[in-house]
Amino acid sequence: MASKREKAAERAERAAQLRREQQAAERRRTLLAVGGGVLAVLVLLGGTLAYTLSQDSTSDIVAESAGESAYGVTIGPDDAPHEIVIYEDFLCPFCGQLEAATRDDLAELAEAGNVQVEYRPYELLSGIGDYSRRATNAFAVVLEAEGPEVAKVFHDLLFEEQPSESGPFPSDEDLIDLAVEAGADEDAVTDGIVGLSQADWVDGATQAARDAGIQGTPTVLLDGEVLQPASVDDLADQMISGVE
Amino acid sequence: MSDLPVTGWVGLLARLVVGGVWIAAGAVKLPDPYASKTAVAAYDVLPASWVSPVGLLLPPLEVVIGLVLVAGLFTRWAAVASSVLLVLFVVGIAQAWARGLTIDCGCFGGGGYDPDAAAKYPWEIARDVGLLALSAALVWLGPRTRWSLDGLLFGSARASARTEPREGA
Repeated sequence: MASKREKAAERAERAAQLRREQQAAERRRTLLAVGGGVLAVLVLLGGTLAYTLSQDSTSDIVAESAGESAYGVTIGPDDAPHEIVIYEDFLCPFCGQLEAATRDDLAELAEAGNVQVEYRPYELLSGIGDYSRRATNAFAVVLEAEGPEVAKVFHDLLFEEQPSESGPFPSDEDLIDLAVEAGADEDAVTDGIVGLSQADWVDGATQAARDAGIQGTPTVLLDGEVLQPASVDDLADQMISGVE
Repeated sequence: MSDLPVTGWVGLLARLVVGGVWIAAGAVKLPDPYASKTAVAAYDVLPASWVSPVGLLLPPLEVVIGLVLVAGLFTRWAAVASSVLLVLFVVGIAQAWARGLTIDCGCFGGGGYDPDAAAKYPWEIARDVGLLALSAALVWLGPRTRWSLDGLLFGSARASARTEPREGA
């Protein structure tokens, strides 16, 4: 009896030992599988990220050089060593911030002959009421009636008085007042602003921007290259330091 | 494997559908990081300094989530990630819709302004909610789906755990 019990105990001990070894092997295997899986996921993530970082898709944007678009206002001489093209929407808040951060510096640098800058407003934010359309139309009306210098001042005023995207939006009368403040003759611009007489210009500018591959505002090209900023301040820095 | 109920097949189908959509959505965006950033920026939610990193990271993340779902690796975790992303996308589209923004959702490339956006929002949200339901089902099923790497790698551990008592007896 005693030896039988001992044998049984021995067998049980051996079985338990075997079980422990199996469990340990199983744990090692699972750990290895988890580690391998995690490694595979990380490699995939790193690989795809490296691939996308290596792609420069801004070459899909092909915009006319500064001073060559039918839908903009240009400052600075044709023979300036640098050129900047700015696609913008009068309602886009980042465009307003960019204007505030760069306007004076760009005006000075253009004056000094360092850069030619073309501002190309178009109607991007048509989904937020009709302000973007009315403001762009008013800009075109002033450009047509009073020429680029007054239009540039009007453009600057439109951004200085930029409404919030959630309104309230300036009325046609407000736009006329701003145009007059910019130096336009009230009679020369009133009908055009109220009657959206430059609607075709607005549509043409918007189509031209889309044809160029522009997908959002502000989009800035410095010497033909699309700038890819981390923030509006960074964009402003890249613009100014690129032409100084 | 053989003792998986019919939900195993449903889980496989869900993995292939959700994973396939993620792979397609991410892969089409990989070659165009600029458009991806533009698409993220158009939602007008994130601070400007977040737009670039998020725009760059999303497409690879989508592809990898898709690949591990199709392979059935870490299914539960992949499905959790899938669900979280889909919830964020639905919220993003809904807020754009509510604010009157007309943007291309950028779900399968593209992005930015789209004049016809308002008509597409309901369908986009419905699609994402459908995928979210499948993802949630996969969170619940976890490794218990057919033809999964989870089953291959970790299934034997459970199987031997079940048979062990017999061996020891």
